[in-house]
Amino acid sequence: MTSQPLYILLCSGEHEKIQMAAMMASVGAVSDRAVHVFVSMNAMFAFDKDAPPAERYRGGTFSGLLKEKGVPDAINLFEQGKMLGDLKMYVCSMALDVSGWDENRLVDGLFDEAMGLTKFLSDAEGGQFVTL
Amino acid sequence: MAERTKIDARGAFCPGPLMELIAALKLIEVGDEVEIWSSDKGSAKDIPEWVAKVGHEMVGVENMEGYDSIVVRKAK
Repeated sequence: MTSQPLYILLCSGEHEKIQMAAMMASVGAVSDRAVHVFVSMNAMFAFDKDAPPAERYRGGTFSGLLKEKGVPDAINLFEQGKMLGDLKMYVCSMALDVSGWDENRLVDGLFDEAMGLTKFLSDAEGGQFVTL
Repeated sequence: MAERTKIDARGAFCPGPLMELIAALKLIEVGDEVEIWSSDKGSAKDIPEWVAKVGHEMVGVENMEGYDSIVVRKAK
């Protein structure tokens, strides 16, 4: 039986939610499951390729623990999901427009394309949908 | 005789040990094995679940002092 594709809408800039999205995306993608991640709103800022490591992730108490214990870095997990499994990542075209950013400002090689929410929602019909 | 690759992933947090196992499986031949040591408490259940889902074979899970030794055979 083929698993339902997993669609993750990541809009929070909180470290804890970005970490959970990265864990779900990477583990799902290496488990014979297609995973699609749509990054918008404050979440996009964590993917600034020039962000200093100490400033990339901002969060609460658990964010401090994640950093202190040296858990796998969220962006590295997304990269592993792409390398070892079927993971596609999209940046929200509205978030790019509003922020004035372009795709070249994002971590190299991570995003497949810029996409609108309407297309992502249409693609997600019939899949499992998670919002973070 | 199956060859066995050993990985010491003790100290790595979820899903680090699983990702290290998968990367190692990509590099070995069908029939060969990976033995991974993990101190992540979820690995002893997560890794067998992943192995069953994707169609490899569990050789065994052994609880050691402070970590688990998990052996997987590449089946495809």
